[in-house]
Amino acid sequence: MTNGWVDIKNSDMMLIMGGNPAENHPCGFKWVVEAKRNRNAKVIVVDPRFTRTASQADQFLQIRTGSDIAFLGGLIRYALENNRFNQEYLVHYTNAAFLVKDGFKLPEDGLYSGFDQNAKTYDKTTWNYQEVGGVTAVAGATSHPSGAVSHAEGQGHQAQGPAGAKGMGGGPIPPPMLPPNVAYDLSLQHPRCVFQLLKQQYSRYTPEMVERITGIPKDQAIKAWDTFTSIRQNGDMKKAGTIIYAVGWTQHSSGTQTIRTAAMIQLLLGNVGRAGGGVNALRGHSNIQGATDMAGIFDILPGYLKMPTPADTDLKAYLTRTTPKPSKPKEWDSFNYWSDTPAFTVSLLKALYGDAATKANDFAFNWLPKIDRKYSWAEIWDDMYNGKVKGMLAFGMNGVMIGPNAKKNIEALKKADFLVVCEIYPDETSEFWRAPGTTAEDMKKINTTVYRLPGAGFAEKDGTFVNSARWLQWKWAAVPPPGDCKLDQEILARIFLKVRDKYQNEGGKFPHPILKASWSYSNPYNPSLSEVAREINGKALADVTDAKTSTTIKADQQLPGFAFLRDDGSTMSGNWLYCGSWTEAGAMSQRRGPEDPSGLGIHPNWGWSWPMNRRVLYNRASCDLNGKPWDPDRKQVWWSETKQKWVGNDVPDFKADSDPKTHMGPFIMNPEGVGRLFVPIGAVADGPFPEHYEPTESPIANPLHPSQSNNPIAKRFKSDLDKYGTVDQGFNIICTTYRLTEHYHYWTKNNPMNVQLVPEPFVEIPAELAEQMGLHGGEKVKVTSARAEYIAKAMVTRRIKGMMIDGKKTYQIGIPIHWGFRGIAEDEGKTAKTPVNLLSPAVIDPNAYTPEFKGFLVKLEKV
Amino acid sequence: MGTSAQRLGGKNHFINRIGLTVVYAGELLRHRAYTRFLHWSYGIFFFLALLSGFGIYMPWIFRWFTPLFGGGAMTRMLHPWFGLGFVFFFGLQAINWLTEMSWGPGDTRWIRRLKDYVTHRNTTEPPDVGFFNAGQKAMFWEIVGGSVAYVITGVIMWFPEIFGRWPVAVSYIIHDISALIMLAGIFVHIYLSTIGEPGTMQAMTRGTVSEAWAWTHHPRWYNDVTGRDPVQALDAARLSQTQVPPRSID
Amino acid sequence: MSDRKTLQIQRISGHPGSVAGEGTQRQEKLCKLIDTTTCIGCKACEVACVEWNDMPFQPTMFDNTYQTMPDTNWNYWNLIKFNEVSSDDGSFQWLMRKHQCMHCADPGCLAACPADGAIVQYRNGIVDFQEENCIGCQFCVSGCPFNVPKFNPSTKKVYKCTLCSDRVGSGLEPACIKACPTGCLHFGTKDDMLQLAGRRVTQLQQHAGLKDAGIYDPQTIGGTSVVYVLHDATNPEKYGGLPKNPRIPLAFTIWKSWFKPLGLIASMMAFAGVVMHYVTEGPRRVQPQPPVKEIDGGEARKEN
Repeated sequence: MTNGWVDIKNSDMMLIMGGNPAENHPCGFKWVVEAKRNRNAKVIVVDPRFTRTASQADQFLQIRTGSDIAFLGGLIRYALENNRFNQEYLVHYTNAAFLVKDGFKLPEDGLYSGFDQNAKTYDKTTWNYQEVGGVTAVAGATSHPSGAVSHAEGQGHQAQGPAGAKGMGGGPIPPPMLPPNVAYDLSLQHPRCVFQLLKQQYSRYTPEMVERITGIPKDQAIKAWDTFTSIRQNGDMKKAGTIIYAVGWTQHSSGTQTIRTAAMIQLLLGNVGRAGGGVNALRGHSNIQGATDMAGIFDILPGYLKMPTPADTDLKAYLTRTTPKPSKPKEWDSFNYWSDTPAFTVSLLKALYGDAATKANDFAFNWLPKIDRKYSWAEIWDDMYNGKVKGMLAFGMNGVMIGPNAKKNIEALKKADFLVVCEIYPDETSEFWRAPGTTAEDMKKINTTVYRLPGAGFAEKDGTFVNSARWLQWKWAAVPPPGDCKLDQEILARIFLKVRDKYQNEGGKFPHPILKASWSYSNPYNPSLSEVAREINGKALADVTDAKTSTTIKADQQLPGFAFLRDDGSTMSGNWLYCGSWTEAGAMSQRRGPEDPSGLGIHPNWGWSWPMNRRVLYNRASCDLNGKPWDPDRKQVWWSETKQKWVGNDVPDFKADSDPKTHMGPFIMNPEGVGRLFVPIGAVADGPFPEHYEPTESPIANPLHPSQSNNPIAKRFKSDLDKYGTVDQGFNIICTTYRLTEHYHYWTKNNPMNVQLVPEPFVEIPAELAEQMGLHGGEKVKVTSARAEYIAKAMVTRRIKGMMIDGKKTYQIGIPIHWGFRGIAEDEGKTAKTPVNLLSPAVIDPNAYTPEFKGFLVKLEKV
Repeated sequence: MGTSAQRLGGKNHFINRIGLTVVYAGELLRHRAYTRFLHWSYGIFFFLALLSGFGIYMPWIFRWFTPLFGGGAMTRMLHPWFGLGFVFFFGLQAINWLTEMSWGPGDTRWIRRLKDYVTHRNTTEPPDVGFFNAGQKAMFWEIVGGSVAYVITGVIMWFPEIFGRWPVAVSYIIHDISALIMLAGIFVHIYLSTIGEPGTMQAMTRGTVSEAWAWTHHPRWYNDVTGRDPVQALDAARLSQTQVPPRSID
Repeated sequence: MSDRKTLQIQRISGHPGSVAGEGTQRQEKLCKLIDTTTCIGCKACEVACVEWNDMPFQPTMFDNTYQTMPDTNWNYWNLIKFNEVSSDDGSFQWLMRKHQCMHCADPGCLAACPADGAIVQYRNGIVDFQEENCIGCQFCVSGCPFNVPKFNPSTKKVYKCTLCSDRVGSGLEPACIKACPTGCLHFGTKDDMLQLAGRRVTQLQQHAGLKDAGIYDPQTIGGTSVVYVLHDATNPEKYGGLPKNPRIPLAFTIWKSWFKPLGLIASMMAFAGVVMHYVTEGPRRVQPQPPVKEIDGGEARKEN
């Protein structure tokens, strides 16, 4: 989230799309209701089904799953045509005025300039700004053109930004080949300026085209566009609108681009940085934000630092590649916050390797793993299926259930040597060997050794949760883990110490990363999480003085914030973003001050949000060029002439003493200093502007460009179990998957109360379709995809309607994901007992590597 | 010619074999043991149902009845069974008395001169009054109808989840009305069988009545069992102006 | 409230005489406000109710709906009713309404109940079942216009929502209110809740285009201590059978309060009648029978 849960209450207009917060975030949905109740805010819900959220909407539109970019592109077109943007914000806070290189071509035929048909990759040289004087720094100018492409793709993930506001343009480390002096045209008339290209790109997204693609009747779409953009009627900046989404957007082969489209809309409308605005990703797990911040992903290090590649032969090479330089019009200023990358990196290395990381050994940079290709979730399973990955430690995740094409995951585990599962219930992953359809004979052939470790549940652990609003909130254990169950950190510590012993005693290849890892906990076998949290915050290793304020942090003191991080080894921090979360004053995440002096839901003394307790990111953009709030009723931060610094109710997300006259851009994490309507040099891999591509399995050819129907660079897998269906094969119904309020993923099926609320799996089927099939509610149906079949009872409902897609009558069905072949007795015998993800295809988005769980083709039969 | 009384009650009913009825001189057999057994059986159930029902009917007056049955819940639980007991035994009695209770033209006449009956206008009943008079028959049929109502409405109230809200509410009223009628009836019944018409009680205790009682209250039945025509005898007595000596009948 | 720790009784079912301590203190009417326009059907209130009241697990069946079970039960007092409603103008609504005891000002259950003290109404408006006094007659079931009380066949007693009288008596809000995440549920004095509801209705009418929005506080039963804000107050039936004009069956009002005593008196007239008869007319004596010509011997004979 760029903003936060509580901040939603400040909104005047909400577009909820690709998410069902009333269903999956009922507590957070409170703030949507507050905005409706207290501000008469309007809610527009766009979803394939009439959901619980839709029941609260002022307008509901039923969209075909996977066609979101078309709808949002139409919205951009509508805003541009009807003057629903603010010139000042657009010109000065976004790159609308920047000129783009001449060779760049828009995807009228479905492809941007630079596509290599054989390699299925883009050469992104032309995806760049024009330099003043026409001399443009070219990616190809570096000595590593092919490497540049692959790096650029790798950066795609970071392009989501640390806020998790994917594609916000908020936090990527741009490759170092942006021109330092960008050509621009403040009148926005230059045919090569971003604004004109944007207009041209979305001129094709007419209401008629949107109707053909999405199935939303054009009068309804226009009404929704008009309502949403009405907050910027004639450029008036008083009101703010927010866009709220979740995995209904991410889980597509063009997921990242969908979110980017939302970011562009918000930049265009001047909603980013504003209270009640922003692009707000709702995280589906209590701590998924924390997991991302702490690099639970293959291609980043904690704090969204980039993962080293084999090309980074030493620390200097790595830092040169990953530390961006300002790229902007000469007259403007850019904070370019990522220029501190060296300090963040060295402090991390000091946290990882302690005293063993010295200036002499490049702070042990070469002990870090380096990635030569992608190791995303689906790729790990593909590798295991192909015999390359031999073992797996599955902690806190049920791999058999959550993967796409689950059959492949089950088969992959059969080929592994070992599997370690740490769980609180016996789950499907640890019992993959008895998945439905596995015969006794089959079982004899499975040689995988399975270890089950009894873990602890969330109420049995302390530590922090980082919520969608980036708030770190400490929680205390409610009860001790039962029986032999152990805390995660104890299990991990014991495994680590055992491995280290083996290295110590028996030696091994490349032992340093393990032998030299810093492990200075008072109880090495069960590190206390408060110690770990202090380590993540970081401390001074020698006295550190901040030049500007003359504050000195003594050696061994906790650091008060990342401004104190140094690249000379005098500080350590496990994650620079969390620096400031556990200072000498104590654990900020344990604060519980409910006060909210501004009434904006900032609650500065409740928990702690990164970065530096800022509640709304890019909040400089809540003020006009002169530093005055756009809306005097919602004053977040402002420039104080008397103090000559930025002050406010929130912590300014800006260089505190930067006078507005210097024209420093509010988007300090971008080297441009402004928000990106156009994303240069492949920070988003599939194009500088989002383009609608059909889902991999789609009932129609893309009406925009039938010859290039799908995302050209979305990855498909090639194993014998990776099959993809077409309409010609009879797969004529669109299927999507989702969660229910009453259940939480795959473990509440073990809890009687939840089972009582929704006892068994079902398939939601439009009443119209059911009538044609002669199907009644409660009867069993068989759903078949190219990969597998799934049987459950039919829920015949009028909440899903048939739609006209490109002139074809098309139906969508939906299946909740919660049931599998393990559950309590109450569940036994009633459930389909097969994972829904047997049906879904393994196709992954090229930026975030998220599989396309939402929107694949099936056929439907009565059982 | 077998008398009505002999025919009733199933000659071979085992209760009649167990409980013999002693008929002393000057007495007539009125109710065999079986009939009396039934009478007192449903009589007991009637009062159990009545008292337990009172506790539920109007607890703010009759709440002191419920402890007799072990508290409110137990009262509620027992009441339908008491009712069923009453209906069961009364049902047997109804079969037992079916022919005797059949309505005749004389009964209609009797009802028309009900006022004369109440005011003792004549010292004896009209000569066409048989084993039961029309008042007794009316009461009998009221109880038959009431019992049917009890069973139907009672079952509905017993299992409301099957029958739903409105049937229960209606049953509630019908059940009550039926009970109120029977309550009124029981006063009359007890009065007439005890102090209202001395000599009657004996019919349901020992099973016999005096011939004079039969002659007074049920002349035609008297005629049937004694072979004497009460009308002629009366006329003869009047003609002869002979004072009939009083005779103890108890 | 003068003393939050006390629940002042106002009415007791089947009870003679006055209510002890009546009128000794003032107690505000309490009220639960359910704004159906902000209910998202998350069932947090259902879970809170089951957990607080420590209800046993009840197996359920898939029934082609998101609704947990068809109706409330003796061990499930709080149920959100889900209704898919298509209107003539082509619009579609998915209505969710939290269904539970309405705590009527004029409670049909209490009117119907024949057991002394099985149902009490507190002065704060809570209608509470005292199961130890319940005789299991289920009259309350048919007396209730909302089909709320539910019979447990194994304990032979009837149960329903207590509006968490145990919590309210200790100055806490009911469990469902505590659990509601969206602020759809409110709890306070009836005056306050009606004011809040009124403001919300005005807002819905003026800003959400819901011309028929309104408050559900049916006066046919004297109002309720649970009040709804409805998108369409003209047609409460579409919210899963919320009666527009709920009524206590006549059997439990007129019959019970008027005709019952009158009927009893009428019955007792029979007693008075026979007494009068005895006094005025006297007993009917057995008349001597006409002279007997032939009398059987003085011996007793046995008949069988």
